[in-house]
Amino acid sequence: MHTSLADLGEPLPNARRSRPTAGWPSLLIRAGSLFAFASAMLYFVIVAPSFLSFGNIANVLEQSAILGVLSFGMTIVMIGGGSNIITGGIDLSLANNLGLCAAVYASVLRNGQSDATALLLTLATGLAVGFLNAFAVVGLGILPLIATLSVMNICAGFELVLTQNTVIPASSPLLSSLTDSGPLGISYLAWVLLALAIVLVLGVEFTPVGLRLYAVGAHREAARAAGLYVKSYIAGSYLLSGICGAAGAVLSASLLNGSSTGSGAILLSIVLTPLLGTVFSRRLVPTITGTFLSVLFIGFLINGFQLTNVSSYWVNGVEGVLILLVVAATSLVRRGES
Amino acid sequence: MAAGTSSPEMDAVPVRVRLTALLRYTIVFAFVAVFVFLSLQAPSFFTTSNLLNLLVNNFALLALVSLGMTLVILTGGIDLSVGSAIDIGSLVFISLVSSHHPLLVAVFGGLLGALLVGGFNAFLISVLRITPFLATLGTLFIGESVQQLATNGGQPIYLITGNLPRGFTEIGRESFWGVPVPLCVVAVGIAGFLLLAQRTRFGREVGAIGAQSGVAWYSGIQVQRTTGLVYLLSALVCGVAGIILSSTVKAYVPLSGNAYLLDSIGATFIGTTLHAEGRPSVIGTVLGVLLLSIVTNGLLLIGWNFYWQQVGTGVLIFLVLAVSFLGRRARA
Amino acid sequence: MSLDGQKPLLAMREVVKSFGGVRALAGTNLNVQPGTIHGLVGQNGAGKSTLIKILAGIHGPDAGSIEIAGQRYHHLTPHRAEKLGLHFIHQERLLVPTFTVGEALFLGSEPGLGRLPLLNRKRMKRQAAEAIYNYFDVELPVGALIGELTPAQQQIVQITRALLRSPSALIFDEPTAALAKPEADRLFETIRRLRVQGLTIVYVSHYLSEIAMLCDRVTVLRNGVDVGTFNPSEVPATRLVSMMIARDIDEMFPKKKITVGTPIVTVENLHRRRAFNDVSFNVRRGEIVGITGLLGSGAKELVRCLFGLLPADGGKIAIDGRPVFLRSPSAAVRRKFALVPENRRKHGVALDLSVRENMTLASLRQYSRLGFLQSAREADTVDELISRLSIRTPHRNTAVRHLSGGNQQKVALAKWLSRRSSLYILDEPTVGVDIGSKVEIYRLIGELAEQGAGILTLSADLLELLGICDRILVMYRGQLAKEFPAAATNSDELLACATGADLTALPVDG
Repeated sequence: MHTSLADLGEPLPNARRSRPTAGWPSLLIRAGSLFAFASAMLYFVIVAPSFLSFGNIANVLEQSAILGVLSFGMTIVMIGGGSNIITGGIDLSLANNLGLCAAVYASVLRNGQSDATALLLTLATGLAVGFLNAFAVVGLGILPLIATLSVMNICAGFELVLTQNTVIPASSPLLSSLTDSGPLGISYLAWVLLALAIVLVLGVEFTPVGLRLYAVGAHREAARAAGLYVKSYIAGSYLLSGICGAAGAVLSASLLNGSSTGSGAILLSIVLTPLLGTVFSRRLVPTITGTFLSVLFIGFLINGFQLTNVSSYWVNGVEGVLILLVVAATSLVRRGES
Repeated sequence: MAAGTSSPEMDAVPVRVRLTALLRYTIVFAFVAVFVFLSLQAPSFFTTSNLLNLLVNNFALLALVSLGMTLVILTGGIDLSVGSAIDIGSLVFISLVSSHHPLLVAVFGGLLGALLVGGFNAFLISVLRITPFLATLGTLFIGESVQQLATNGGQPIYLITGNLPRGFTEIGRESFWGVPVPLCVVAVGIAGFLLLAQRTRFGREVGAIGAQSGVAWYSGIQVQRTTGLVYLLSALVCGVAGIILSSTVKAYVPLSGNAYLLDSIGATFIGTTLHAEGRPSVIGTVLGVLLLSIVTNGLLLIGWNFYWQQVGTGVLIFLVLAVSFLGRRARA
Repeated sequence: MSLDGQKPLLAMREVVKSFGGVRALAGTNLNVQPGTIHGLVGQNGAGKSTLIKILAGIHGPDAGSIEIAGQRYHHLTPHRAEKLGLHFIHQERLLVPTFTVGEALFLGSEPGLGRLPLLNRKRMKRQAAEAIYNYFDVELPVGALIGELTPAQQQIVQITRALLRSPSALIFDEPTAALAKPEADRLFETIRRLRVQGLTIVYVSHYLSEIAMLCDRVTVLRNGVDVGTFNPSEVPATRLVSMMIARDIDEMFPKKKITVGTPIVTVENLHRRRAFNDVSFNVRRGEIVGITGLLGSGAKELVRCLFGLLPADGGKIAIDGRPVFLRSPSAAVRRKFALVPENRRKHGVALDLSVRENMTLASLRQYSRLGFLQSAREADTVDELISRLSIRTPHRNTAVRHLSGGNQQKVALAKWLSRRSSLYILDEPTVGVDIGSKVEIYRLIGELAEQGAGILTLSADLLELLGICDRILVMYRGQLAKEFPAAATNSDELLACATGADLTALPVDG
């Protein structure tokens, strides 16, 4: 005896279709963004012929190195933590982590230690910050937004203690060699960025570990059901971003020949680039490649402004408009998800 | 529905659960503990002049900004552009004053400037349905550009002391019955927001939208309209803060509003520890701001190196959050 | 097939489990013979999902034991359960929506690229297609993301994932809830084939027809205890149902005698692209109108249109004769409509808000003057509603999250009572509600009708509709197929109309 209609069912052709995340609207956005990217570049090339010169490109790479390295760290945290901004993965302490590590590096050098020691201690500092974040988020269960916010304050504080609100000059063989020209006439700073990009792209997008990290961020329950230790992945992402902070610090120290001033300002850009970068991925998720491309885009944009004598004060505004356009477009794609 | 979800009997609540329930009040305990500690350690702390100074300089402006932020976070969003609202309100205000407009016009202009920022946010979030984090991030970036372009790279606008309109100095310095004007404004603000959040229909709607916006929508609440209003309100109160700030320093200093962003978020989230389900509240936020203020003020008085203060503040916030989240975990 | 013939592959003995002060399982037993399909039925709240969760290692029992292949365990963990070969096909698709089919299948056991620890996406894709073709004889769209697949396709991926791990037992939890008939049939074929290959299946479901068709044995749970294990082909469904609810079905529905008034809402030629077409009906004061239809019949969309959740593309909706445009729920609410949505936890009640706040959410204007809430009046009304609906809650300020499903549904209903709405639109009002609360909700619906409100209730439970409604509208493929007076029809007739069987004049089995 049938007591319920739910026994049977025959849908109309279009009923109950899942919302596509990568159908033609997504394609349109990705194509549109690449088109925008290309046309902006084209504009600069036309107006300032030196834009596409090898030296200029190398220059952009060099200038983008720090933003790039830090953005990679942020990307990893975002991948593992999920895309909901308030409850998902974010590392607000990255910028001040860099400041602290740079201060450590410069201080250690100033104390007459070698590059190797300084490097080791800097790395240790970055890891310590990462560990603190991991502990707060995974161990204590504090929301990443405020956990990393308070760690950021701690980093800023310790940085001030070390630097006494001055800039500690630093120079060493390692630091000078970083800004030297390397193979192909590109400075080692840029090579570090490229190398890190390649390593991370491989590691995050082409290994099982990377796939699992994506799983943890995108659907925690599914990841658990697949037998993954979710906590390890999330903790690991914060440790990795801590290391990125330390790496960025070394690069920064070499560029600035000392500890940094006002490292916190870069924070917003570090948050921006992975989110901008989602347009470059077919699935509209943060990726290392996407982040790399958007870091380059911002770098070329700033450079292009410089070359065409547009005031650099427009840069922030343009970044703001960009993120709004990207988000408006992607939210149009996702509209309808209740 | 899972089995076993019929009404829980609340007869015998184990002692352990009751203790961890007390952890909800961590922030109150922390506040009292720090206050007592500072009073004992620094004789000049517990004096009227210091406490007043604390309230005016450390507490007032942050409290105003945090009130707006609380309302925004209550709707489940966030406002990263509070700095822009503060600064643009300040910019318009000071510009109008320095071009010899009457005080009232300048104040009105400043508030309008801030409302512009809020209106932009409201448009992005309510009309274009952009997620608040990214929408206000965009506003923040644009606001920074606007300020840089308007001031040719961040030059402050200073007011010439001799040329001030009537009543100007009153804002920063005068007091009603011994209570300085900024504090009066803050007190009114706190009372206003408290009333709004707890006793008005609007406040109820805001809470419902933040709790589960789907339910609010299905109940016939005009979610988009209310959400937009919240961002306008936040910008408005930031504009007030900007006016008070710039009248105190008699200048408009570009990008100075950003300093309040992270602390207001921090204070609001510290305040969420007060609520059983972790929701923001006006009282909680006020307590959070108080905690941050006495720490900043007090550590200086104890003679802590200024730089260690920030470490101290950061560590304290961390500890408050840690204890509270642990307590929430234990109760779950 | 006798119970003492073989040793069970899977057994749960005298399992007891309580949450808070509430006993979910009170000494439950389950014996699953190897190579059989064993069904598990029971009302919501009977303990089905708790039992499954204990088997899955998500909870540990307070007492009792679990026996797998002869080995006794006090409690399991998800890891151990998987190692023992138990795989679960949950209702929620535990697949990452942004992954491709290949990635979702092989997450956690990804094939490598030679000796390098790199992903071999090509191989994953190929092996995925092979596996799915082997088990299911279908081809899924190549390179598709999980989020782009239909629920049935996602389930295929889910099952394939489990099968790739050489399970000894597969436990299905309500697998056909989101499936269409041909998809469900394919699932049954697969399950039967798996049994032939020696796999043991546990099949948890509400749908007795499926249980009857598929299972070798079925265990009935009621109030946390197993009340019997039978061969379903030897036991009529009515007996199963009465074992599940331990009550005579007729007693559930209240008797009513109401005079029906003028139409509150009249729908004329309403149409919405790809949902429904040319629908006309009305609901009168004091009348309870039921509406039903299969998945895709347009019934659900029609109901949503009526509340302003979906725009109609054509036609007219008139309230008391005057045409209205319902652009949003707030427009509908202003016109004294009420909606109790299907997804209670997502749309019906705000779990973190208190009972009081939830109850007054739709009628805030009534309790406020110049924007300020009048808490005394509000509190009085809330208390009155709590007692009138017999809602069990410690206090009116308790968060709704702490209430049982039935009481939550009552709160969702109460939200509209204080508004004295004129039209109540109920979407599956008693799904997931315990039997006691169901009866109370039926009583309440009757009271509302007595007071002059009109009720439109959407339900897939034909018995429920026959029990409470005056008229029943049946939708089929976007059309309003037929309108039945409840007193003059039966579930078979309704079913035939809903499935279109009456159109082809083929005999329908009962």
